[in-house]
Amino acid sequence: MIFNIIISSLINGSTYALLAIGFSLVFGVARIVNIAHTAFFMVASYCIFLCTNILGLNPFAAMMVTIILTVLLGLIIFKIIIDPLREHEAAVLIATVALAMSFQETMLLFFGGVFQSLPYLVTGNMEIAGIRVAYQQLLIIAMAPLVLAAVWIFLKKTRMGLAIRATSQDREVANLMGMNEKGIAMMTMAVSVALAAFTGAVVVPLSVVHPHMWLHPLVMTMAAVVLGGMGSVKGSFIGAYILGFAEALVVFLIPMGAFLKGSVALSIMVFVLLLRPDGLFGVTFEEER
Amino acid sequence: MPSHILELSSVTKSFGGLKAVYDISFKMNSDDIIGLIGPNGAGKSTLIKLISGILEPDSGEIKFKNQKINGLKTWDIVNLGISFTFQNMRPFRRLPIIANVMTSCMSPRAMKRGEWVKRIEAKAMDFLEFAGISDMALEKASTLSQGDLKRLEVARAIATEPELILLDEPFGGLSPAETELMAKSIKRLHKGGRFGRLHSEGPAMIIVEHKLQQLMKMADRIIVLNYGETVTECAPKELVNNKEVIECYLGKGAL
Repeated sequence: MIFNIIISSLINGSTYALLAIGFSLVFGVARIVNIAHTAFFMVASYCIFLCTNILGLNPFAAMMVTIILTVLLGLIIFKIIIDPLREHEAAVLIATVALAMSFQETMLLFFGGVFQSLPYLVTGNMEIAGIRVAYQQLLIIAMAPLVLAAVWIFLKKTRMGLAIRATSQDREVANLMGMNEKGIAMMTMAVSVALAAFTGAVVVPLSVVHPHMWLHPLVMTMAAVVLGGMGSVKGSFIGAYILGFAEALVVFLIPMGAFLKGSVALSIMVFVLLLRPDGLFGVTFEEER
Repeated sequence: MPSHILELSSVTKSFGGLKAVYDISFKMNSDDIIGLIGPNGAGKSTLIKLISGILEPDSGEIKFKNQKINGLKTWDIVNLGISFTFQNMRPFRRLPIIANVMTSCMSPRAMKRGEWVKRIEAKAMDFLEFAGISDMALEKASTLSQGDLKRLEVARAIATEPELILLDEPFGGLSPAETELMAKSIKRLHKGGRFGRLHSEGPAMIIVEHKLQQLMKMADRIIVLNYGETVTECAPKELVNNKEVIECYLGKGAL
């Protein structure tokens, strides 16, 4: 039982972490609460479905094509919808909700409400402590820390990363240092959406593709980000695993727990916020000082 | 005869019913230091925010090197060659001091093609040395004292390799010794630095300051503002006997 809980919480946690890193990055840098973040993940999953099951591409090629197309879609959406509204945070929030709904309804229109499946990126399985674990599951577990490490190296060791970190602290001053803050926000949006598409390729083969699949991950991703502290990528990562673990505990230890997993995990988030309103690693932005 | 680097014509900015800056016009040469003084609320900070592009004028025209700059984005103005320091210092507090300066070195104006992080780091170190805080390069900006933060502001401003620097109260909150040091740095910078475009001649400067004694030693001309309007524009030595200036600081009937 204990290994079941560990494996399950690692998979849940890694899924939320992969999504939360992108969500947190774009909020931290551009103050955009992109409710459509997991809708991009859903659109990417359909794109992979299209590439593999209809066009017959292999899963890796489908993943690459999907990441490129989703990033393009993300950049177009940023340019025509998010950027003109950016100074009004509530408007961005509502606009991205509308965007997510329109993505969902477009997929319903083209693919119907039928559950679809995606091929595994890696097939086969192995036994760990008496539990059969698919390689695809191990891939998810490995990818979250790898992606976090890659994002960390990108932020700490590259010019663009430094520009992103500076902008995330004070947009106005970054402008006065000659940095094109809008360009940096756009770049961050591209990275964030690419991560959502990558998550789709890695995670969704273990579940099903359907037009409503973005909703539960969105709630959990936002909860992870709030729990970890808005704007802190590290906090979101840890928050994701805490929620993943809480979900797995509820599913395995409480009778009918599968129906309660969301509400218990979110209650934990509320409880932590009562004790630490800024979340575990909350960040104060310069303009809020 | 040096050319006009900056030209303001009838610049006006209001906030609601309040005219923060009204009908301001002046020209400055590429080797000028202009002091901008006036009582609190006179419109000094608003004026330099208008020049730097943080605010946009309601009417009037601001030209930099014969190019109209009102309406341009802040980063475009910086990349044309104007930099700005804040009255209340706003470093990137969670970044090391050197990274604060590296961000300015990465502005399109200052960065050369193919420069990698190491090269940018070395350039940033040069600017920190100039400002006198290179020994603290790796510490977080949040650990700096008031005086060192002012130095960091100057290092960041010159790292964009400007031709015009707008300094908003560079001596504000500094001790007499720190003020003296900062004044020396500013004079040295104006004479001509060792960096990039600053190599041959230093940048022109507009300095907003309340410490008049120090400012009068440095400025070629002083512009006095009150209630958003120009009271007078004169040489520093003419200032002490100017009745209008004394009135705007001490009130009517003070003489």
